[in-house]
Amino acid sequence: MNPQLFALAIFDGIAYAALVFLVAVGLTLIFGVLRVLNVAHGSFYAMGAYATASVGAAIFAAGYSPWLAFPLMLVAAVLVGVIVGGPIEKLLLSRIYEMEEVLQILVTFAVFMILEDVQRLIWGAQPFFEASALMALGNVEVFGITYTAYQLILLPAVAVSVLIGLRLFLRRTLSGKLILAVTEDREAATSIGINAERVYLVTFIVGASLAAFGGALASATTSVQPGMGADMIVLSFAVVATAGLGQIEGAALAALLIGLGRSFAIYLWPELEVLIPYLIMLLVLLIRPEGLFGKSRTRKI
Amino acid sequence: MLEFRDVTVTLGGIRILRNIDFTVRQSETIALIGANGAGKTTTLRSVMGFTRMTGEILFDGRELGDVAPSKRPGLGIGYAPEDRRLFSAFTVEENILMPGQVAGFSAAEIKQSLDRIYDILPELKTMANRPAGTVSGGQGKMVALGRALMIGSRLIMLDEPFQGLAPALAHRYAEALRVLRDRDREVTLIITESNPDLLKKFADRALVVERGEIREGELGGKDAA
Repeated sequence: MNPQLFALAIFDGIAYAALVFLVAVGLTLIFGVLRVLNVAHGSFYAMGAYATASVGAAIFAAGYSPWLAFPLMLVAAVLVGVIVGGPIEKLLLSRIYEMEEVLQILVTFAVFMILEDVQRLIWGAQPFFEASALMALGNVEVFGITYTAYQLILLPAVAVSVLIGLRLFLRRTLSGKLILAVTEDREAATSIGINAERVYLVTFIVGASLAAFGGALASATTSVQPGMGADMIVLSFAVVATAGLGQIEGAALAALLIGLGRSFAIYLWPELEVLIPYLIMLLVLLIRPEGLFGKSRTRKI
Repeated sequence: MLEFRDVTVTLGGIRILRNIDFTVRQSETIALIGANGAGKTTTLRSVMGFTRMTGEILFDGRELGDVAPSKRPGLGIGYAPEDRRLFSAFTVEENILMPGQVAGFSAAEIKQSLDRIYDILPELKTMANRPAGTVSGGQGKMVALGRALMIGSRLIMLDEPFQGLAPALAHRYAEALRVLRDRDREVTLIITESNPDLLKKFADRALVVERGEIREGELGGKDAA
């Protein structure tokens, strides 16, 4: 492998890891607080991508500035989180917290299937490709390699900001502390007046918005089409399991590990591209069944 | 100020409390006495809304069944559960402040309340910045009492506060309760205990829980379980 290809594989890996992290961190946050493995999480990613690509295509065709793509991504992410995620938690998940895990997974899987069809109903089966945001930022040259600034700088910067912002939010703000308190002990939290149901709802919306934000950012780099949600949920499960369920910083490292593993596989052994993330997960779980950073039965996030 | 009317709690097919009726008047200090498993904890938990129950519990004339569990502390009810249940991710002081912050107290109110808590439990001040996960079991009981004091302006319920405390610490804890009683004549205290001797000095009245039923008892007398 020559140095140029090596650098290229690293850049690809970092850019991909940033997107996977955004989805995985939402998944792990929701699991940490609600203790529900949310299969429908991939749908939020896909809907964030669809909303950004379709609305973007319409407004850029009408002649608006491509820079509008960035605020559009944020708005799309929050809207998907609130409008799609909110009712799912409030009307459905809130009824199944006491039930068996297998049943919870079945319910969120059903939601995932329903949302897949909803996406086809709204956006059809034709792929969308809307890369104005990617092009607006131009290219950078590093080690003699020309790469898009969007993927090499913006995506990793957003991922790191989300990681730091989420940690500060949880540790420093009252809302964040309420989330940590409910995570540690729901009944004790209720006994000091914390409305755990509302904390669950807010957490779910934040987690869903993060996945949708990942999709919104991804929409500029890939074609948006049916099935993208399924691919992403499986991959972010691998990240979350590798990191240890509920581990926020761990999810960042595991996303990097799996992103890099995948991109090196593409250059060195393309047949293994799809398999590599799961091989990494398998290897980690064989040695540490609770994940890289997971502690067996301790506090969650 | 607190009235149980025909309260029955069934858990897993077993009746923990059977048709309980009793009244606690404002500013009373009640020792809730009974053997382990008699139903003392369940009695307190049903005030907090953590049990499925039939019957009514009235608090300051209000039927608690109409108040969501998370809204009950806001009525002025502080509760220190038996196993402390502190939030280990936060410092001791953060734990104590949290009920006031959740209830939306002003900064001045919180400061005033915190000063009062440190006045009654000065040892909490020395460990204020320690993570709550690192304090000993006995210290944790003190922190849990401090946390209950933050919000418990009307009623404070302490579940087995002396259990597992070293004698010196138990003495300290009882002393703090006595100071609390001296400073605040209005607040109502309910303390569960399997050894009523510890409470006879300052409890006004004993209620005995036995086989899921409740009756008036005698302090320090034959009702020592």
